[in-house]
Amino acid sequence: MPINLKRLALSLVLTLVSAFGAQAAASCGDNSGKPATGEPIVIGAITGKTGPDDFSNSTKAAKAYFDCLNANGGIRGRPVKYLVEDDQWNPEIAAQLAAKLVNDEKAVLMAGNSSFVECGANADFYKKSGILVVAGVGVPRECFFAENYAPTNAGPRVSMLGAMGYALDKLSAKSVVCIGPNIPNVGTWSCDGIIQLAKEKGLAAETILMDPGTADSTSTILQAAASKPDVIILGLPKGVTVPLLTAAEEQGLNQSIKFLSAASAYDLSVPGTIGAGWDGNFIVNMEFNDLEATTPDNQNWLAVMDQYGQKSDPRDTFAQAGYLAARIAETALMTLDPGNITRETASAAVRQVKNFKSDIFCAPWYFGDGQSRHNANSTTRMAVSEGGKWKVVSDCAPSPDPELKDVRIFEKSAGLN
Amino acid sequence: MNILPFIISGLGIGAVYALSGVGLVVLFRATGVLNFAFGAFGAIGAHCAWQLLEWKMPLAVAIFAAVTVSTAISFLYGRLFAPMLSHRDVVVRAVGTLAPALILIAIMGVIWGELPRRLQFPTDQMFVSLFAVRLTFTRVIAIFLAVAMVVAITLLLNRTRLGLDMRALANDRDLSAVLGVRILYTETAAWTITGIFSGLAGLLLADLVRLQGTFLTLLVIPAIAAAILGQLRSLWETAVAGLLIGIAEAVLTPIAWISPYRAAAPFIIALAAVTILGGAAKSALKDR
Amino acid sequence: MVRLPKQLLQVPVMMLIFSIAVACLANSFWLSAATSAVALSLSVAGLAILYGQLGLVSLCQFALVGVGGWVTLRIGHAFHPPFEVSLLAGAIVASVVGLAFGVPALRLRGLYLALVTLMLAGAFQIVISAWGFPDGGRGFLGRADGSGRTMLARPPMADGEVTYFLYVCAFATIGLLIAQWHKLARPGRAWALIRKGETVAVASGVNVLIYKAWAFALSGFLAGLAGGLLAGNVGQLDGRAFGAFESLNLFALAIVGGVFNWYGAVIAGMLLRALPALLTDLGIDGYVMIGIFGVALFQALGTAPSGIAGQISALIGRFGSRISRRRPR
Repeated sequence: MPINLKRLALSLVLTLVSAFGAQAAASCGDNSGKPATGEPIVIGAITGKTGPDDFSNSTKAAKAYFDCLNANGGIRGRPVKYLVEDDQWNPEIAAQLAAKLVNDEKAVLMAGNSSFVECGANADFYKKSGILVVAGVGVPRECFFAENYAPTNAGPRVSMLGAMGYALDKLSAKSVVCIGPNIPNVGTWSCDGIIQLAKEKGLAAETILMDPGTADSTSTILQAAASKPDVIILGLPKGVTVPLLTAAEEQGLNQSIKFLSAASAYDLSVPGTIGAGWDGNFIVNMEFNDLEATTPDNQNWLAVMDQYGQKSDPRDTFAQAGYLAARIAETALMTLDPGNITRETASAAVRQVKNFKSDIFCAPWYFGDGQSRHNANSTTRMAVSEGGKWKVVSDCAPSPDPELKDVRIFEKSAGLN
Repeated sequence: MNILPFIISGLGIGAVYALSGVGLVVLFRATGVLNFAFGAFGAIGAHCAWQLLEWKMPLAVAIFAAVTVSTAISFLYGRLFAPMLSHRDVVVRAVGTLAPALILIAIMGVIWGELPRRLQFPTDQMFVSLFAVRLTFTRVIAIFLAVAMVVAITLLLNRTRLGLDMRALANDRDLSAVLGVRILYTETAAWTITGIFSGLAGLLLADLVRLQGTFLTLLVIPAIAAAILGQLRSLWETAVAGLLIGIAEAVLTPIAWISPYRAAAPFIIALAAVTILGGAAKSALKDR
Repeated sequence: MVRLPKQLLQVPVMMLIFSIAVACLANSFWLSAATSAVALSLSVAGLAILYGQLGLVSLCQFALVGVGGWVTLRIGHAFHPPFEVSLLAGAIVASVVGLAFGVPALRLRGLYLALVTLMLAGAFQIVISAWGFPDGGRGFLGRADGSGRTMLARPPMADGEVTYFLYVCAFATIGLLIAQWHKLARPGRAWALIRKGETVAVASGVNVLIYKAWAFALSGFLAGLAGGLLAGNVGQLDGRAFGAFESLNLFALAIVGGVFNWYGAVIAGMLLRALPALLTDLGIDGYVMIGIFGVALFQALGTAPSGIAGQISALIGRFGSRISRRRPR
């Protein structure tokens, strides 16, 4: 009995110590533990929460980081007032909210934005207002081809082509079918990239654009399989990917064709949802590091979320994106004189961001001053669904997207990456 | 261009439309209310079933719970809220069912969110193979359920006292009351029956299509196309129409230029039928 | 020379007071919401004509708003005419489409008509999701795939927030005046007869076909106008915001606002855009908002058949009769 008590006591102490250790692990701001008390700096964000999908994990993670920052000295003593708005996937509302944040709340910067519709609706307004957006997640083409908008994620096209690169290198694919949503500037844009690359490499390729609102996934998957491709690459939101894979499994196609997907399907719930029938057969592109990676910045992200986020906030790639956006905003604002933080100075500071290193990124992030479009994250890796979890199966590799030529030229001339 | 596989996959989606369409017409014939919340009643039942399965409850318990939840909500609406609108015209009573649909979408959104989920039944693993396309037993069950419902309700409406009361009620509420039809009892019975049906249909739809609250609720709109083709009257015609519009939607897939628009097939077919058959609005649809 | 009834004066006077109040008091966010609300109130006015005057239910009104917006955007990007020209073009095309939808419906009644229009809304949803809205490109669809995406330019006199809001209010006033005139003049009387019963109307010498068609055309015209003004608000429209469910929503809120009074349309517009904005401002979760709407919808349907506007007018009526009773003889 006494031995058990001692063991019990020892394990209790160890648990407490490790818990305390974990508590102290979140690192942000100056790590002083002193809350910031100066005049708040207003940073805004627009996210698509209510609607076909919930993108708000990005802004939740950014909020957690800003809360951590405010508890640790803020931006040289000034706390960040982070205002998040839900545009309900409606571009009209997105425009209203942008007006609110920029004109009424006088935000100096936007960080962590994650909305499907706001890039198209607001890019022009942001440019006219002179405000920069360090977005968390962008999806349609407009998010990657706007002067004032720089997402931390790679985008569906770059991501899909990363998957295709893997198919070419590791799966020796000779024919590919691309399934994308028939949303203009998303599906056509992504699958066009596949067709372009296929033409360059001399592969057979086909595009199928499907209505994401369709109830009939079986016909689409039959159409895709009709030409007997080696791989089928999906560029659909996860709410549409799961029924499509279900329909494919119903038809036994998970055994005969390899299915790949852009990073939109990389979510911790997906392997468990699609089931054991897909073990080893569904390979997904990752725009950021493995969610459970033990590298320092990834662990810091998890620690920040544990300490300053809600327990119910999902720790997914959107959250990684939001955390990174918040850190980039912090890095930029820290270079400024705290007495002179305005929209102009904040924009100038963000423009100068280059070589932002984080082990969540494959390659250092940069804003790209002078570029008319921004797509700094274009190096990705792949993971396979295995036993209800994701298993990373490849190293970081630059995406072979032909459209990235201007980005690569800019990177070379600026001495980046 | 081989369209045979698509005819079979069309049977799959057609089963979905047939099931929902029959459910709509059943309630309409029994109470004169077109229930826009039919999908929502089923969806919340399906979510409850999914939740119970996540908690490792046996399948039978989950199915029973789903049907019970759907029936309870349908009963509640039919007993307490639908009578409040009974003095308004048909369209307002139908628009009134948007209210429970919205409330249920809100409840499902708050509790479960819009994360894609999969509801799986053991019958998904068993299949019959036709023209190199597999038709899972779940889809076959859906078709059978639609047919069984048609037979059962037709028998109920034509052979039983309750059915007679229902038809009278749907035709003219006030006159039926004068004639001694137990209005509240009959109406509640109709809503309960539709609730049971929506629970079963909801489970099948969640398995066959996807388990997502808003999506399952909005499936009622193409189901209305099947109901229109059945002229809001004939259950058999609705079921067959549902299968046919499903097949039509599926066989358009291989035709590249029309494929992005194929989801509009149910609507276009319903419109064409109405235009060609003319204002063949039967007496059952007279203005009330 | 058409004699204009004195009651018509209500419309521009009230709209003037309303627009000045909002323009002075609202911040950026509320101005934007109010602009959308007033634009959409035009589409509700169209619904009010069809349902309030004729008892015909149209569940595809939001699709017609989309048609108007699409044409306004396409013509605006292609030819760069004055904004009013694109706006009018959008309204006219929507009117024609509304008429085309209306023709088979002229023989349908009640629920059947409603469901057929819902089918149209469903078909439009699929088509517009695939097509998207024009944004400066070439070809019929006018989609610019690359960085050539442009926003529709507002009229030069109404480029700012406040000025565009007043511009929209002005057009809305004109639209509401037209609708109100129709109700008070000959078409309104013809519609009332048709509503009583078509036999009665024919016996009284009313050309049922023409007047029904006129109603559909007017309703489409107002919807198209709303669509064009919406397009000018943000400078673009999104294909996924024009689903069949939006038309259902529009009809439901039209009833809640009130289809028998002209200001019911404005109230419905506010409910559609300003009320959600308020709830967002208060930080209420999007889904909870939807639930609140459901409850409010049923409450309104169950207890107030003439909508909020009807209750207001009843209140005014009672107040007015109380005053006139007190007046010394």
